[in-house]
Amino acid sequence: MEQARAGEYDAFVAARWSVLFHLARLLTGGDRHRAEDLLQESLVKLWFVWPEVADGAPEAYVRKVLARAAARSARRRWWGERPVEELPETAAAGDLSAAVAERSRLESALAQLPPRQRAAVVLRYYQDLPDHQVATTLGCPVGTARSHAARGVARLRRLLADVIEPVG
Amino acid sequence: MDHFERQLAQLMHSTQEHRAFEAGHRERLRAGVRTRRRVRTARRAAGSVLAVAGIGLGLFLWPHAPGSERPSAPRPRPVISPAPTPSSSPGPDDSPSAPPSSPPVTRTPSPRGTTETSLPPSASGSSTPGGPPTGTATATFPGTATTEPVTGSASPSYTSPAAG
Repeated sequence: MEQARAGEYDAFVAARWSVLFHLARLLTGGDRHRAEDLLQESLVKLWFVWPEVADGAPEAYVRKVLARAAARSARRRWWGERPVEELPETAAAGDLSAAVAERSRLESALAQLPPRQRAAVVLRYYQDLPDHQVATTLGCPVGTARSHAARGVARLRRLLADVIEPVG
Repeated sequence: MDHFERQLAQLMHSTQEHRAFEAGHRERLRAGVRTRRRVRTARRAAGSVLAVAGIGLGLFLWPHAPGSERPSAPRPRPVISPAPTPSSSPGPDDSPSAPPSSPPVTRTPSPRGTTETSLPPSASGSSTPGGPPTGTATATFPGTATTEPVTGSASPSYTSPAAG
């Protein structure tokens, strides 16, 4: 019984790891280590409710835990960063591909949003969720979720003006 | 959804890089599950210990609770009517204000519908229950006991013998 449960759980995690990690990374504004921690924490929680949600929507459960944890943990001031005298690694000019540069711009722009706006934008435009599901995931009214997403997009519109070229 | 929003959605999807679920991730996940299981077990054990301690403390303090020494019924109020005249009817201010050591006064309903009051013989005084109703009553108690004449209202005030 336990083996079967572990097998199904492992199969789900292996199949959805890449998508869930990208979601966590967007929710944290590109912080890879925090994204890994958040995803790990969410998947550990999933393990304990796996018998209840395995036949339903386990990914929706992980999404909800991830989004709420990202909004909550982003309020903390200290994320475990320590000042150092020299930068650990610097990017050499010309070694970044266009895709990586684009992703960096997107993540740095997302990092400038307040956590709830960022979560609403990511759920709305990356997970393609309608407004009421964004509200359910974030645990807020539909109008609040819509407002968060609209304000986040308005700010991203200014931040990413040179990346996403306007029509015409 | 306008052009910018479509571009934003496309950008979010296109920047996704494939990352395989590796053995290191699995081991880390297993370790996290074990840690969380231990924490849950410890928290449940601590909760059980606290619950048992609370119940034990409650049972220990239960017989000594001050509420257990309360009387089962309210203390009976003294039945007294200091009304001096036999035909006086109890009014709303007919509350006994005499000390508990005052002589008992019994009230018997008369066939005429009025209440007759009789004092015991030990209460020596100058009150004359059988006298004509004058509307005032004077009760004298041993010592200083002089009471104010009661006119109409049946709430005499007594002076304590020890006070004089």
